[in-house]
Amino acid sequence: MSVYQRNYKAYTGRLTPQWTRVAVLVRYGLREAWASKITIGLMIFSMLPFFISLVQIYLVNNPVARALIVRGNSRILDINSAFFLRILETQCWLALVLLAWIAPRLISYDLSDNALPILLSHPISRLSYLGGKFLAVFAVLSLVTWVPCLALFLYQSYSSAQPWALANMPIAVGIVVGALVWIALLAFLGLALSSWVKWRVVATGTIFAAVFVPAGVGGMVSAVLGTRWGLLLNLPVMMTELWQRLLGAPAVMRANNELPGSAITFMLAAVCALCVAILNARIRAREVVRG
Amino acid sequence: MGVIDLDRLTVRLGGRTVLDSLTGELCGNAIGLLGPNGAGKSTLINTLLGFHSPSDGTARVFGMDARHERARIRQSIGYMPENDSFIGNMTGVRFVRYMAELAGLPSGEALERAHEALFYVGLGEVRYRLVSTYSLGMKQLVKLAQALAHGPRLLILDEPTNGLDPMARQRMIQTIKEIRKEGSIRLLISSHLLRDIDETCDEVLILKAGRIAALCNIEEERRSHHNFIELEAIGPLEQFSTSIRGRGCECACFPGGRVKLVMPDTIEARDLYLIAGEQGVQIRRMHQRRDSLEDIFLRAMESDRGR
Repeated sequence: MSVYQRNYKAYTGRLTPQWTRVAVLVRYGLREAWASKITIGLMIFSMLPFFISLVQIYLVNNPVARALIVRGNSRILDINSAFFLRILETQCWLALVLLAWIAPRLISYDLSDNALPILLSHPISRLSYLGGKFLAVFAVLSLVTWVPCLALFLYQSYSSAQPWALANMPIAVGIVVGALVWIALLAFLGLALSSWVKWRVVATGTIFAAVFVPAGVGGMVSAVLGTRWGLLLNLPVMMTELWQRLLGAPAVMRANNELPGSAITFMLAAVCALCVAILNARIRAREVVRG
Repeated sequence: MGVIDLDRLTVRLGGRTVLDSLTGELCGNAIGLLGPNGAGKSTLINTLLGFHSPSDGTARVFGMDARHERARIRQSIGYMPENDSFIGNMTGVRFVRYMAELAGLPSGEALERAHEALFYVGLGEVRYRLVSTYSLGMKQLVKLAQALAHGPRLLILDEPTNGLDPMARQRMIQTIKEIRKEGSIRLLISSHLLRDIDETCDEVLILKAGRIAALCNIEEERRSHHNFIELEAIGPLEQFSTSIRGRGCECACFPGGRVKLVMPDTIEARDLYLIAGEQGVQIRRMHQRRDSLEDIFLRAMESDRGR
């Protein structure tokens, strides 16, 4: 039917499989995230440490450059777990900045315009909807966390004269696992807070506040009560300790680690579970028209 | 198999029974859903869409169980909610395309259908504008377009003329009539406006306090009440109405001496004058008319019967 023939005709064509509907949500979510120039700016900014590290690896593996720069101090340009830990930490905190911008764009528009009754009246479930949004965030954050870190690892493996990759495989595993934990945590946190706060700017601020305000509170708890358990409210400290363990950071860097791994794991799982519960409650409350 | 089959459908929300043992088969091409606020219209629609699970009994849409076959039912349904519900920062065409893709249309077909649907509802010229810049009437139409784009078998319209000016309302009613005439889509229209239902529907389900107060074919109901008479009278109307009820008439009294009654075939208009004379009632005006949907609705509301 041509558009100028304004008669209704039933659709008789083929339908896409049910499981691909999540991909539609991801695609529209990504398009929404990238529709803003600020997202592109943040992405470029997030890639700067990657390019600097890329140059650094090149210099380390170039004998002439190494001779010129190192001048007897070989420790300056060591490519080891500490190097990758620094990169991973930098990228992960830049991912937080990116998340604070894109997560509200993915959820707040749907909620502020009350789009959920229409969205969920289509053959997608609440879980599919959240899964689609989660995967969109996951894809964007992957681009600034484990993907560039792994690319650096592969470049170092390629550039290194001696067999480097196999000996340092735990670093690659640590990068992927550490980044995935961080992305999952950020995605749940970002989506949950964005679903709670109606205005995007406020949601952005709330995401930062949710990470750093409990850290301050945790610091006060630790100082006042003289206990290390206050650090369980300090997400930056918890994640740093987790990344150090996963990447096998040198002992000197791990000297101040105070929290047991099980406590960190439990706390991160609890935060994720809380965020999922908030998301579920918020979406459920908004999916139907009350009347 | 009806469009919608309800079998002792009960829905409890927050400990309150919102729908209470609804049983009936809705078969019309266009089914009107009527009832006062809180009667359970929206809950019934949400149950059919799978947002609420039946606490007891079953609801079926084209034979598909609302509890177990949500995805298939949603695939067959186009839903236009009552309130504002859209994504404001999308253009009209992108919004409708998005919804069509969610309903399972491949990307290219979804785009084509989005253009067609927007032209069909009359938004062709503004389809590249952001939905947030649309007027209220346009927002209603874009909701209708997204409900139509994927070619549903059942179109659920919740208050489709809500907030529309008379011209926009007329246009919406005309579009609904065209959809009904086309024949491939069944309609379920929930509205407070009896006139909208009267103009567009052939069957009506009237809910009252979560129960079915009436479920009837509008035309058949009208035909069965062809002896419908409206009177204006003065005098002791209570005695008068008691007397004519005794003769087998259905009778309802209204303020201002108005009496509406349905006479059985055994009684003629002349008999009314005789009874009125006996009771000392003066009939000032008598008007024989067809039953309106309003009468059907009012009777249903007055009746204590629920099923």
